[in-house]
Formats: sequence, structure tokens, C-alpha cells
Amino acid sequence: MRLALHAEWTKTRTVAGPRWLLLGTIAVTVAMSAAVTATCGAARCGGDATKLSLTGAVFGQALVAILGVHVITDEYGSGMIRTTLAAIPNRTTALVAKAVTLTGCVTAAGTVAVLGSLLVGRLTLPGHGYAAMFLVLRATVGSILYLALIALFSLGIATIVRDAATSIGVVLGLLYLVPILATVIGSPFWQRVLEQIAPMSAGLAIQATTDLHSLPISPWAGLGVTAAWATAALTTAGLLLRRRDA
Amino acid sequence: MTKAGFVQLLHAEWTKFRTVQAWTVGMVAAALMVVIVALLAGVSGDQSGSPAVPVGPGGEPVTDSFYFVHQPLAGDGSITVSVSALTTSIATGPADLRPGTVPWAKAGLIIKDGTRQGSAYAAIMVTGSHGVRMQDSYVNDTAGPASARWLRLDRSGDAVTGHASTDGTHWTKVGTVHGFASTVEAGVFVTSPPSVEGMGTVPTVATAVFGDLRLQGGRLGGHWAGDQVGPKSSTFAGYPRNTSGSAVESDGGLTVTGAGDIAPAVRGTLGSGGTTREILTGTFAALIAVIVLGTQFITTEYRDDLIHVTLAASPRRSRVLVAKAIVLGGVTFVAGLAGAVIAVPLGERLARANGVYLFPAEPWVQLRVELGTAALLATTAILALAVGAMFRRGAGAVTTVVAAIVLPYLLVAQIPFLPAGVSDWLTRVTPAAAFAVQQTLVPYHQVASVYTPYNDYYPLAPWAGLAVLAGYAVVSLAAAAVVLRRRDA
Amino acid sequence: MRPHRTGGIVVAGLRKRYGTTQALDGMSFTVHPGLVTGFVGPNGAGKSTTMRVILGLDAVDAGTALIDGKPYHGLRHPLSHVGSLLDASAPHPSRSARNHLLWLAHSQGMGAERVDQVIERVGLTSAARRKAGGYSLGMRQRLGIAAALLGDPPTVLLDEPFNGMDPEGIIWMRGFLRSLAAQGRAVLVSSHLMSEMQDTADHLVVVGRGRAIADASVADLIAAASGHRLAVRTTAQRDAMTVLARAGATVATGRDTVTVSGLPAERVVTVLNQGGVPFSEVSAHRATLEDAYLDLTRDAVEYRAEVSR
Repeated sequence: MRLALHAEWTKTRTVAGPRWLLLGTIAVTVAMSAAVTATCGAARCGGDATKLSLTGAVFGQALVAILGVHVITDEYGSGMIRTTLAAIPNRTTALVAKAVTLTGCVTAAGTVAVLGSLLVGRLTLPGHGYAAMFLVLRATVGSILYLALIALFSLGIATIVRDAATSIGVVLGLLYLVPILATVIGSPFWQRVLEQIAPMSAGLAIQATTDLHSLPISPWAGLGVTAAWATAALTTAGLLLRRRDA
Repeated sequence: MTKAGFVQLLHAEWTKFRTVQAWTVGMVAAALMVVIVALLAGVSGDQSGSPAVPVGPGGEPVTDSFYFVHQPLAGDGSITVSVSALTTSIATGPADLRPGTVPWAKAGLIIKDGTRQGSAYAAIMVTGSHGVRMQDSYVNDTAGPASARWLRLDRSGDAVTGHASTDGTHWTKVGTVHGFASTVEAGVFVTSPPSVEGMGTVPTVATAVFGDLRLQGGRLGGHWAGDQVGPKSSTFAGYPRNTSGSAVESDGGLTVTGAGDIAPAVRGTLGSGGTTREILTGTFAALIAVIVLGTQFITTEYRDDLIHVTLAASPRRSRVLVAKAIVLGGVTFVAGLAGAVIAVPLGERLARANGVYLFPAEPWVQLRVELGTAALLATTAILALAVGAMFRRGAGAVTTVVAAIVLPYLLVAQIPFLPAGVSDWLTRVTPAAAFAVQQTLVPYHQVASVYTPYNDYYPLAPWAGLAVLAGYAVVSLAAAAVVLRRRDA
Repeated sequence: MRPHRTGGIVVAGLRKRYGTTQALDGMSFTVHPGLVTGFVGPNGAGKSTTMRVILGLDAVDAGTALIDGKPYHGLRHPLSHVGSLLDASAPHPSRSARNHLLWLAHSQGMGAERVDQVIERVGLTSAARRKAGGYSLGMRQRLGIAAALLGDPPTVLLDEPFNGMDPEGIIWMRGFLRSLAAQGRAVLVSSHLMSEMQDTADHLVVVGRGRAIADASVADLIAAASGHRLAVRTTAQRDAMTVLARAGATVATGRDTVTVSGLPAERVVTVLNQGGVPFSEVSAHRATLEDAYLDLTRDAVEYRAEVSR
């Protein structure tokens, strides 16, 4: 496993793509957070300044998803997957090594992105609407974990689908569509259920620091839902990778 | 290249498209998503048992709620009044009522076909800040002399004519309305619509002081009776807490307090009403599918090095791109149209069966929405094709197009408190402007409401919105053609 | 150079079905150390599938493929047991050759020094730091060979290594394969270029319809294909054929020769002289490997080009 990790890390750092995507994640997350807090600064944008400052994650996750998808579809696209699996015949090890490397990179970039967003938020929405320190900390750590989970989810889906465009379509669809579709569900019960099981609306509950009782799902449980999606995708991916011809 | 050559190129691209089974399946799936979501939207709604939405003479939903001091009028006659004061208050907090201007607060005369909500009427009134107006049939609004304080309605046959005057002797005609039964209810009314505060509304109440109330002509010997038209409960009728409608007589004058509105219903006043666009929410799922397909139509050629074969077969690269765009756009349009044409009637029928009130749309508006949805999907597919040709990488291209069209919509549709300026901008300049083509609601100048994309009101006209997206597609396609020509394949 | 472990591949009874196609139908053969084994057969005969099975990339319905006596999955540092070059496994286009080899080395616990060694060995030093996306096919093949050599493996498995190589590269590749065998390695090379195999391989495994239809040394195969035929060089082909057939031989025409079987050389000379047929030479017919291959695969060809009319 140690060797597989070393190999994956070498792969990641020797092409420019991941570096740009990670920098892009930081830039997009912070920029969108800044845009949202700036436009909402004067208006009444709800009382949760922390959540508002972290809105950028909704956009940043798209780049994280591209990274998660490319980690595997690049190899399928070029046929390099055969070289990888010839070098690391244990396919579970190969996939886990990819997952761990990806998690590390996204967590690092996510930390910068989330802290940057908070800082920008503090500057544009000074001193009002911030909840207790531990709630802000939970939102911060949770947002970083959320981005990492989205990366893992994307990796899982892409390993199953093996085509970049289709994978990213599936991932973005599951992330962004469910909240839109939920609005047309007339029954409040089913609407709530949808929000509880959708990877994005559930996972981002972790960003809330006020009005916690009005959330469709409690913060940690919500992040747990996203983790469940990631786990399910990666487990299926692992099983298929073992069973399929490379 | 000759014309025949281009037809061959189209034929070749069509053959390429239809022979990849996954693409055919994907296109059918995109159409199905539109239908399935419409089914879900229709089936999941459950409004049965909720009060019926009042409908005006033209079939449109209306708000019809006001305080009415009236008596029957048979045959021809005339009613005159002077409005000496109109004061309004706004509920700034749950228990806080403060004086404030309500621009469309109304106090004046009305002749109405009975007190049933939605019945025909003609009214002339003093408003909070829009001067004297004559209104009828809920949607018609005519301006009168702004400073007039005397109002008169003359009934002659089936016609009612409104006059206004500053002194009670020199009258200016404002308008005439036709089509009333022989016996109508005539009298004074006061109403006051909710006031727009930020991204929502708060209740208001108006009190007017009337003088010189005279009813001439076909009196039936009744006397003035005060009634709330619309919901009997003050809260449901739109009154701020601890207020209610009333009429008090004093020194020959009449002081009337009322709240509500006599106007077409809009999204802000009829939140439970559904729209055709909501039935077509599956468009978003279909969008993601056609974005993936549009991107793959070119990126798989790069991945499999098929592009060399394609460009060797037809060396004029921009022609290849145009041929691809035509084939892709055509196929997507047909699939999208099929999906929309099935989805709209099906979803509406199911929703109505579950008691959901749907804002009505004329058949030609429905057709525009269906054609527009197909065009929206086709144009987006072409945009994805162009971006895919520039990026040559599937995931980046798909994400870019999704971010360009779905994310702005997600922002304006999901965040109710998004400042109006921002959502206005997002639905004017981003490709998400195209969703205007699905809108069926129309804003009314005489109804103060939150006309934002969140409430299904788009700033651009339907086809203008689609044109914004088409602009993006054309520019991207041109850029892709330039890139394709300059770059080594 | 460190002493090599035994090396070698033993493939036994591989069966694999894709839908209705029986891709492998009892494929069995052995690759011995110190020899270049050519792996030949028509397209779709199962060459690439067999190689992927050996490398643990494809699963089989039945049978085993062992390297150094173990299945591929059981090898601890697989690249030090077997190096491989597969037909359709390109490096990431924006990663340089050196970095491609570097991650591969790291996966086996090796360092950058070994990477530089193999780069030099395949003659890619000048281009090693350029992005692989700009490589010619021949350069990509050299990069693949470098990857195969990375773990200094006793067994090397190459799928169509001559593809895309220029004449200079082909000569280099031929010598290179010979040198690998000379070092005692077991080398399995698939190819459809028979002329290359004739000059390169010691041993041939000919496959058709998913199984080995011949497994013999190159010399034996050529001898078998030559049979005991004679070539008669003559200007009077029709006369020669008539007299020889009358004498009980089986005859066929070539361009300016008649191929004869069923009669010893002395008898052929006698018959021709008695019949007054002029001839300039009677010699043993020597088949090429191409002939041997065509003989063997005649029935096995699945995708044969239609004879042009």
C-alpha cells in the first residue's frame, strides 16, 4: 500500500491538471463566497453569516468533482489503467491508493479554500450573525470534509462509469439537480425526504450555525449522508474494478 | 465544398450519431426525464381540500378581497362620493403597525355583479400614490386625473362610466366598461395590498374618509351595509394582526377600514399556484444529459483519434463543426419537443386531479413553452459541443456548461433572499436567461409584488432570453471553429 | 547484472468467452528462459487477450497462467518478475516519459536512478523530459519497453513491439530482443510480421481461434512447411508438369518453377531427361516462415480479406 500511495502521489504531482484544479477550487470557492457575502452584505440575507461565507463550496465542489473524475478516467481514456493494474495487481489497493491521495490533495486545498472564504466573510460581513465558536468550527471542518467526500464520490462514480463526460454529468446531476427537483415535489414530506437523502443538500447542513432546528437533517447526520454516498460509490467501484477486465 | 458535399457531411455525422447506441439511449433518456419529473410533480402535489382560487371573468386567477359598503342597484343609476382622506399603515413587525405609504391602497366606488369573489366589476378609486384610477375585470387599469378627490360611476344599460373631479362640479370622464347584469351591488370600498419589503411582503391596512355619498336612480329601497368581500377571517383576508375591516358613520361622513386587493393574482399572492415551467422542471435533468451527449459528440473523437479520420474525410474543419451542430441540435430538438409535448398535458392533468391550482396559459403560450424547451435543450447541446471542441476534455467541458446554465438558475431559484439586482443580472446575461422561454406568468404594473426569477418572473421576454443562450452558443461555435482551424488535430 | 531468477510463463487451458465469442478456447503453451518466443496468429485469434490474462488484467473462465510458478496476483513486486508492453496502453499525454517511469518505479519501491538507467537503455534520454503527448509511435514504443525493463524482470512480454517503428528502430528492436534472451530472460513477443519473427524468434507459438495450433522451434516449423518438396526451374513448365505427373508426382506451378512432391530428386532428374524437358535447376524447396504460418492458419483465419475479383 505504501508503494501504491507513493506511485499515486508521483502521478498526481507530475501532471499540471490536478494542480490547476486544486488552485481553481480555492479560487472559485473564495471568489464565490466573496461575491455572495458582498452582494448580501447590505441586504438581509438571512442571519447565518458563517453559512453565507461558505457558500463558495457549492461552486468549488464542481472542480473537486472534475479532479475526482479525472483521476481515473484519464487512465481509462489513455489505456494507462493497464499499466497501473499491471504494476499494482491488487485492485483494491490501487483504488484505495487513488482515494487516499485524492483525499489528501482535496483536504489540503479545501482547507485553504474554506479558511479563505471565512476570512473574506469576516471582512465583508463584519461582526454580526456569527454563532458560537464551536459551531463555526464545525461548519469549517465540515465543509472541508464535505469537499473531500465529494471528491471520493466522484472517483467512485467515475470508476464505475469509466467515461469522463458521463461521470461528471452523473455527479453534477446528483449534486445540483436534486435541490431543483425537490422544489416541484408538492408534498412537503417527500420534499424533506429528498433533501435528507440528496448528497449536496444533506451534506451542506454541516455549514449551518443558526436555526439548526429548521434544517431538513442535523449537521453531522447530513454529512454522514454524503459520506454514505461516497462509500456506496467507492464500494461499488471497488467490486466492479475487481470483477471487470481492465 | 459544394452544397451536395455538405449534405453528405450532415449524413455522415447523422450516421455517426445514430450508430452509437449509448447516445441514442441518452437522448431518449433526456426526453423521458422531462416526462418523469412532470409525472412526479403532478402526482406528488396534494392540494385537494384547499379553498378554490377565485377566478375572474377572463379565467385568470384573481385576488378579490376588500371592505365593501354597498346596496343593490337595479337598472340605470349613478353613485357619487368624495374621498377626503386615505391613510395607510404597514405591519413592520408582528405587533408593530406604523403609518406608511402603500402605493396601491385603494378607496373609491365600485359597481360589482354581486359580492361573489371573482365577479365582474367596474371601480374608480383614489390610490396611495398612483392618483385616481379606473379599473375593471381585475386586469384593466386606466389612469385618471391625479389630484381629483371626487368620484362618480354612472350606470346606463350594461355600461358603467367613471368620472373624476377636483371640485365635484367639473367632471372628467376616465373610462367606460360594458357587460353588467340588471341588478348590481354599488357602493364604496377600501382595500390595501401587502407591501413589498425586501424579498417578501407584509400586511397593510387602509382607512379612508368618504363624504357626500349619493346613490341616484334604480334604488331598491335598501340601505348601506358593510361587508368583507373574500375570506371572512381578518388574517386570511390580509389584515395585519389586531385589525379588521369596518365602516363607521359620523357627521354625514363615512370612515371605512379595509385590506386586501382587487387585482389579478400573481405568484406572490397565490404561492400555492403551479406553473407550466414547474411541470417542466425535468428540463434540468435533460439538460445535463444533453450537455454530456453534446460534449461527447466531439470529445470522443479526440479520445479515440477518430478526429483524424473525420478531418481527413472533410478537411474544412468549420464545416465539420457546423454539420455536427446541426445534427446534434436537430436530434436534441426533436427529443426535447417530444418530451415537453407529452410532459406538459400529462403533468397538468395529474396536478389538477390532485387539486393543485395551475396558473392558466393560453394554448399558444403552452406551444411556445414546449417549442422553447426543445430549443433550449438543442441550443445547450450545441453550446456543449462547441465548448467540448475547444476543451477536448469531457469533464471540463461538461462542468463549464453546467456551471454556465444550471448554477445561475440554482442560485436564483434556491436562494429566496438573493438581492433582486443579482438575480436580475444572472437571468439577463448568463445562459440561464433562456429559462425565460418557459415562463407563463406575466407581471402586472398595478400589483406590487416580488417579480423575481425566484417567483418565476424573468426579466427578459421569452424569446429574448433564449436569444441570450443562442448568442453564447453561436459565439462559442465560432471560437471553436477558429480554434479547430488553428490547432493541429 | 544480477543473476536472474528462472523466469518463464506457463499457460494452461485458458478459456474465455465474450458474449457469444469464444475468445480463448484452451490456450496452452510455455515460454522458456533464454529464448525469444514469437506469439503469432491472425487478428482476433486471442493473442492480446492471452497477454492481458497473463498480466492479471483480464479474468478467465478456466485455466491458469503462471509466471515463475505463481499467478500474476501472487507476485509481490510484479514488475521485477515480468515486464510488459501492451498495445493500447499509452502514458498520460501531459506527463513526461521520465515522470511516467518514475511513478511506475515508485509503485515497485524503486528510485529515480533506475528510471534514468532504463531511459538510457532504450535511447530516450534526449526526449525523456518532454510531454509524452508529443511522442511519435516509435518513441512511445521505446517508452513502453523502458517501462517493461524497469524492474529488471526475468520475463518480458511485448505486444506488437514492432508497430510504428522505422527500419532503424526495427533493427534496434530485433537486436534488443535477442540480447534480452541472451541474458537468459524469457521473452514473449506477439507480432503479425512473420519476417520479423523469422529473424528474431527461436520458438513460435502460432494461435488460431483461441488456441495454440503450433508450438515449435522456428527451424522445425520451416522444415515442416517445406515438406520434402523440390523446386524445378524450367522454361517448359507445362511439359515438366505433364511428365512428372505421369510419373506419379504431385505438381504445382510457381512463377518460373514447378514444385514437386512425392518423388525423390534423382527420379525427378531422370524423368525430366527421359521426357526431353529442359531444366536449369532441381533443388530442395525452402519454405519461408510466412508459408508455414499461412499453412497453419489457413483454417483459423476469422477475418480474412475477401479475394479481390
